[in-house]
Amino acid sequence: MNRTPDSATSQQTRRLWLFGLFLLLILALFLLNLALGSVSIPLKDIWGILIGREGIRESWIYIVQNSRLPRALTAALAGIALSASGLQMQTMFRNPLADPFILGINSGASLGVALAILGSSFVGGLFLPALNLGGQFSLVLAASFGAGLVLALILLVGRWVQNPTTLLILGLMFGHATSAVVSLLIYFSAPERIQAYSIWSFGSFSGVNWTQLSVMALVIFAGVSLMALLPKGLNALLLGEDYARTMGLNVGLLRFIVLLSASVLSGAVTAFCGPIGFIGVAVPHIARNLFKTSNHKILIPAIILIGAAVSMAASLIAQLPGSQLVLPINVVTSLFGAPFVVWVVLKRKRGAASFNV
Amino acid sequence: MGCVETKERCGIIQRLTPPVLQTSALRIGYKNGGKSPKLVADNLNLTLNAGEFVCLVGPNGVGKSTLLRTVTGLQPKLAGEIQLSGKRLEAYPPRELASQVSVVLTNPISVGAMRVDELAAMGRFPFTGLFDRMSEHDWDVVHETLRVVGVDKLSQRYVHTLSDGERQKVMIARALTQEPRLLVLDEPTAYLDLPGRVVVMDLLHDLAFGHDKAVLTSTHDLDLALRHADRIWLMDDEGQIIQGAPEDLVLNGSFAQTFNRAGVRFDPLSGTFDTQNSGSQSVFLEGQGPELIWTKRALHRAGLAVEDEWIPGSPRICVLPQNDTITWQIEQDGQKNSFASIYDLLQALPK
Repeated sequence: MNRTPDSATSQQTRRLWLFGLFLLLILALFLLNLALGSVSIPLKDIWGILIGREGIRESWIYIVQNSRLPRALTAALAGIALSASGLQMQTMFRNPLADPFILGINSGASLGVALAILGSSFVGGLFLPALNLGGQFSLVLAASFGAGLVLALILLVGRWVQNPTTLLILGLMFGHATSAVVSLLIYFSAPERIQAYSIWSFGSFSGVNWTQLSVMALVIFAGVSLMALLPKGLNALLLGEDYARTMGLNVGLLRFIVLLSASVLSGAVTAFCGPIGFIGVAVPHIARNLFKTSNHKILIPAIILIGAAVSMAASLIAQLPGSQLVLPINVVTSLFGAPFVVWVVLKRKRGAASFNV
Repeated sequence: MGCVETKERCGIIQRLTPPVLQTSALRIGYKNGGKSPKLVADNLNLTLNAGEFVCLVGPNGVGKSTLLRTVTGLQPKLAGEIQLSGKRLEAYPPRELASQVSVVLTNPISVGAMRVDELAAMGRFPFTGLFDRMSEHDWDVVHETLRVVGVDKLSQRYVHTLSDGERQKVMIARALTQEPRLLVLDEPTAYLDLPGRVVVMDLLHDLAFGHDKAVLTSTHDLDLALRHADRIWLMDDEGQIIQGAPEDLVLNGSFAQTFNRAGVRFDPLSGTFDTQNSGSQSVFLEGQGPELIWTKRALHRAGLAVEDEWIPGSPRICVLPQNDTITWQIEQDGQKNSFASIYDLLQALPK
């Protein structure tokens, strides 16, 4: 156990360095995301395309503007949103394993998408005829609808259920019930529709067009802004709800805002990119370990930077630069992320990082 | 009740300022859905003044925590009235209430990686804005509080590296940075070793006596409560509370009555609890000072009745201190045996 005091100033310098480092990392990952893929584009031409210089190959401009740029931005936004949502859930439920989907937001979205893709064959094409296989935007609508429904349910139940653990269990049970319905739909569906559904469930940052991206950016901006109001309240929740209340905080209102922000953030990502696991649970832990604090005044900016970086790194790896293959995002986040978090968690000093459960 | 039995000097102050905490006909318990509420205690008329350290004691499960949670506003009362500084508890907006009462709860906290000064600074929440910007004055309060509590040297340490006793002091510091008039603690000594308990009780007494706070704590450390508290609220399993100076409650037998259980006896002479003496064999013990007291305890444990007068035929034990060594001597049936330790003495005694 480290008993030598870390003086406040040396700690502050360290944190500033870390913030700077991550900003540079994000910039580098952003450029690499634009440059690498099935076709490699030189970095100086990427720069040229971004500032609108003349005389660069048309095909390259097309690839960057319509595929790689929206994909990189989607990855960054999704990473921020999932990390922000995960941090709030972990603090509110005082549980290091909580993730953005713990209350069943993704189950709701999955059910929406499953109904859209699988349900149409189920009821002989009469049900939701407009949402046909492959219609990307209709999938977004279906997922948003499912996530929104669960969100409304959570906010409603959250007003009645005072105990966070009860809320957690209700969320888990709701997730199981929805999965059952999804399984039922899969069981009775044609193989090609099942494949379409599985592809959605693997998660992807591709295929989000500029219109969708702007909607997603707006929703995520709103969710993150809500969270930015909460560092004091989230810090108080670290001590538990009783302490928070005796410090004059309105715990009911606080919980409502946390639920709203976290659900909107995770719902937006699931709707546009599918259920992306791991980032939401891992990034808050990485932030606590690197910045050696559980103070949300530092953690909130930290997870925004780390979330964007991790997610863009995953997106880059998923492209398998130089090959024609593209891996599902969930495969990358879990396969590469899990060993990293194992290392971070084993390296930390006992009880230092997150909640000592 | 109230301040009738307290000293003259506080009589004047009290006429000017109302008690920090006053309850009248207070009924506490749990609302139980639609069914009839579970009653814990009724008709509680309690007062607590500034500068007073009160220990709430009573057997497990009589409702001490319920009472503490109710007077701090964490749990709704069932009936009656609670007044803080002369104003109804429910009339306080949350932030104002937070600068009247602050708490230290039983369960150890787990905040993760947080420095002592950061944790103590959380007590300033009722005074800071939405983004918790701390003014110079706020930090002054934090540092002064850490100094008063005696943990200023730890201010840069992480909370999880502290010992239980140090952490409890930091939690008390956090509560004090709220600058409350009333400090309420629920079993603050529960997880501490014996010296740690004494230190915390000393601190609480000092906060009341030297810093004019009203301090209310529940505790199971009866001997410490008897020594440190200005007053004791003695709660029995019917939810009745008897108030009084610790010494009064011992002398009028209330203490013994509340805690008497089969096989356990409160000894008003030592102020401690004893297992009841079931020994039939009696011995006579002679000696003085700490040697006598500890020998007596050992004999009690061995199941012997220690008599004040010698009964012919029973063993007679003398404790003989000589310079640096002590000798124990048994005289029985005209035979004398000497021992160099209490352990050897006990081995030789009849069971």
